[in-house]
Amino acid sequence: MPGTAIIAAEGVSKRFDTHEVLTRVSLSVAEREVVCVVGPSGSGKTTLLRCFALLETPSEGRVVMDGQVIATSEPTPAIKKAGRVVRANIGMVFQHFNLWPHMSVLENVIEAPMLVRGLKRKDAVAVADRLLDKVGLSDKRDAYPGRLSGGQQQRVAIARALAMSPKVMLFDEPTSALDPELRREVLLVMRQLAAEGMTMLVVTHEMGFARHVGTRVVFMDRGEIVEESVPAQFFGSPRTERAQRFLQQFED
Amino acid sequence: MFKYQFRWDVIPNNLDFLFSGLNTTLILSALTLVLAMIGGLVIALLDMSRYRPVRLVGVGFGEVIRNTPILVQLLWVYYVLPIVFSLRIDAFTALVIGLTVYQSAFISEVYRAGIQAVPKGHREAAQVLGLTQIQAFRRIVLPQAIRMTLPPLASNFVQLIKFSSLGAVISVTEITRRGMELSSSTFRPLEIFTFIAVVYFFICWPLAMAIRLWERRLALR
Ligand SMILES: Nc1ncnc2c1ncn2[C@@H]1O[C@H](COP(=O)(O)OP(=O)(O)O)[C@@H](O)[C@H]1O
Ligand SMILES: [Mg+2]
Repeated sequence: MPGTAIIAAEGVSKRFDTHEVLTRVSLSVAEREVVCVVGPSGSGKTTLLRCFALLETPSEGRVVMDGQVIATSEPTPAIKKAGRVVRANIGMVFQHFNLWPHMSVLENVIEAPMLVRGLKRKDAVAVADRLLDKVGLSDKRDAYPGRLSGGQQQRVAIARALAMSPKVMLFDEPTSALDPELRREVLLVMRQLAAEGMTMLVVTHEMGFARHVGTRVVFMDRGEIVEESVPAQFFGSPRTERAQRFLQQFED
Repeated sequence: MFKYQFRWDVIPNNLDFLFSGLNTTLILSALTLVLAMIGGLVIALLDMSRYRPVRLVGVGFGEVIRNTPILVQLLWVYYVLPIVFSLRIDAFTALVIGLTVYQSAFISEVYRAGIQAVPKGHREAAQVLGLTQIQAFRRIVLPQAIRMTLPPLASNFVQLIKFSSLGAVISVTEITRRGMELSSSTFRPLEIFTFIAVVYFFICWPLAMAIRLWERRLALR
């Protein structure tokens, strides 16, 4: 089923000073895949996602997009340039939304298309209106983020990322900061995106989402990928003891 | 016990004289605020430079200015600076230089706090969307920082109005100096300095109140 690789980490290690957070992680995400990364907190999931998003520089190894190296520990000017060029094709949704509070919902969404893609305001607004409708927030278009619920803010953040027409979307625990009753609206939007064929890499504690929407599950522990398989296999009969222990905390 | 005969007519009889000093006070404070806002920006940029020697200059300057008395700095600018650099500066210019330097050191901290108060995630969101560092600073960080900086800057204006009274020591004819002159010719210091204190109060107090309201409204957003 998976097509060509869109983005891949190849032997990525990451150290903060001497503390090693990622150890030779290799992970490739193909077109239309929904890869769910699960694992205990502190296992390096966020750091891995930030390496993909070019927010952290790997200490070893490299990040490749569309067959082109976009990050290494000591990037040449050519690699840096490649990173700058493709960066806008990588969408990221943060745990804490990170909407810009001094701009309205609409302005949040049109800012990057206008500045980075050079869209005219009229065209950017047309794109934004379509996306806000898609995430069910047309009526909030002129509101400021501070007036929205967490679930609404996260849906705006998703629309903002989609406005750049990214080739891959990275999600870092997009529902962890939300009250339980607000998670569903965000998960529904993500589920719809997956159904439309968006390539997604999702760090999550929502085991239901990983099981039913994910095409592959990656289990991380202490900076390493410990297990990697299709959801039915991972949740049905995890191979490693560490994964079994991890999954036990979601049972009851 | 308190036998002094107040003679308040000394005030209305010399109102023009006193208010010409008030005029100087306000011009001086406004001019210095504008200059200190620019000076503060320069120091803040030095402070945040990626080059260590440049940072040291900015930080060192700020520390020296913040940890010596403003009156001593003014006297230094007025008496020492002209000799060291063999130039002539009048009292007004000396006062503007002294107050600007002093206030710049504080305003640079205001800017720095404003910039650092913008969460790192806001900038990262911009970076991931493809904005350059400069675009992210200009569109995401600066507008938020400015909003947080305005009330403290207004408070600095209130401070400057009060500090400008130090000009009296180096004979700048702002309102306090006018009061000293008037009191030595009329021998009515009690009336005169009471009146001057009241004038300062009714300029500074409403401003301070307005700033407090403004801050509360910003906090609610
Ligand atoms: N900027 C940083 N500096 C130092 N240590 C960090 C930094 N970011 C993350 N870490 C450490 O890396 C480890 C993994 O963190 P993280 O990637 O956030 O894990 P997860 O998302 O799986 O909870 C943690 O021990 C964390 O303290
Ligand atoms: Mg995390």
